[in-house]
Amino acid sequence: MRSLRYRLLASLAACLVAVGSASAQDTWHRGDDSLVYVARDTMADARKGITVEGGVSRYDKRMHYYRKGWASLIPTQHVLQFCGNMGLFSIGIGWEYGRHKQWETQLLMGFVPKYDSDYAKITMTLKQNFIPWSMYIDRGWSFEPLQCGLYFNTVFGHDFWVKQPVKYSGGYYPFSTRIRPNIFVGQRVTKMVPHSRRKYIKSLSFFYELSANEIGVMKFGYNGRAKFWDVFGLSLGLKAQLL
Amino acid sequence: MLTTIQRLLWSGLVCCCLALAGCDTVFDVHPYDVHIRGEKNLNAKGVAAIEAATLGKDTLRLAFISDSHRNYNELRDMVADINRRDSIDFVVHGGDVTDYGTTREYEWARDNLARLRKPYVVLLGNHDCLGTGNAAYESIFGQPDFSFIAGRVKFVCLNTNAIEYDYSRPVPNFDFMEQEVTARGDEFDRTVVCMHAAPYSEQFNNNVAKVFNYYVMRFPQPLFCLYGHGHHTEQHDIYGNGLIYYEVGNAQKRKYYIFTITPNGYSYEIVEV
Repeated sequence: MRSLRYRLLASLAACLVAVGSASAQDTWHRGDDSLVYVARDTMADARKGITVEGGVSRYDKRMHYYRKGWASLIPTQHVLQFCGNMGLFSIGIGWEYGRHKQWETQLLMGFVPKYDSDYAKITMTLKQNFIPWSMYIDRGWSFEPLQCGLYFNTVFGHDFWVKQPVKYSGGYYPFSTRIRPNIFVGQRVTKMVPHSRRKYIKSLSFFYELSANEIGVMKFGYNGRAKFWDVFGLSLGLKAQLL
Repeated sequence: MLTTIQRLLWSGLVCCCLALAGCDTVFDVHPYDVHIRGEKNLNAKGVAAIEAATLGKDTLRLAFISDSHRNYNELRDMVADINRRDSIDFVVHGGDVTDYGTTREYEWARDNLARLRKPYVVLLGNHDCLGTGNAAYESIFGQPDFSFIAGRVKFVCLNTNAIEYDYSRPVPNFDFMEQEVTARGDEFDRTVVCMHAAPYSEQFNNNVAKVFNYYVMRFPQPLFCLYGHGHHTEQHDIYGNGLIYYEVGNAQKRKYYIFTITPNGYSYEIVEV
């Protein structure tokens, strides 16, 4: 027991030495942004050096990382998408990550008008994007030749179920009427908003996608033939990058 | 200036998207959107065509198919086979034209059935009720309980998918059956009852299976009953009273019935496609 406590203390001391020897900037400036939280409601720019009266306490450091952790959950993009089996239009928020920001996760809420059914419907979509390449063209325009991925859509309403209700005998309907998987491929163009003109949006992308779900795939799979637009659907969208 | 043009361009694009989404099969709003593109209310048209084509005829020939589900190839083959037979007056589809009850499946089934060169009606199957399927059925085909008179035989088509409705509507609808016993009474002498799920199947409200038989037997001279759902081609005297219930296999099995109703009785053959 004593040896464990000794080892813990020793490693903590080693950490403190390591932290102390590095420059303040290195210690603080680990993320992309240079702003750090130095007090409960105060931020400072790490590039200008941090000068806080009485030094930075361990509490301040912890709070910095605590805030930084939660701040990483702030959505960095807003999305508007038309069709794609997720509603006539959907709006959502998203995050990008990865070494080249090649991964994106988006959460969208969609609206399905009433049409000939009994009520209008709301849907929710969880979407995973993979954008392997980005080509810079000119004057702030860039082109992403491929964006692909999958999304799961769920529709709200008493007519739909994730798993068949108990009134049916086991495995009678071996599928969900509520949640539907979709795969997609598409392309997009992005325009950077110049710094001088930037108000809220950093860049704006226009994309199109061809998406397919299991209903169209099933039609093709069982019959060996289907029209292109029976299997695939076109959707168009806008992505506003904020951060 | 440039920003105004850009704004106009974007808003124009957005308007185009909305306009395209409103009218084309290129855009999919949602599998259960019940956004029907193309023909609607087909059973009313089918009923009118059947009644016109068989008016005054004393011999009727009808084809009975059912449970086409995702098997569009087989459905097309059966439709082609029916089209080759000039003697067939009309076609009854026993329901389950879809798997998931989605709007797109309904449109595919409708467009395949549209190849029929005979008038036809489609019953409501249990798969067709899933999600917004019942709304799509009502839009494309019509009310799930309906009847028509071919020659002097009344065909009573009933929704028997009780378990799909949880008592939210009467299934089977005895009020409808009672009305049909006497409605247009001077235009028919005999009756055929068509349904998707037979009495004592798991879809049926079996608490009233005997009551159902009571109402069926009140019709003028019930000839026989037609049903699908079980995916087998079989004949059963369900109530032991001599009224035969004919079950047709699903489209995948490539079998269907041709019934010939004459003034003296009826006969049937099982066709393999």
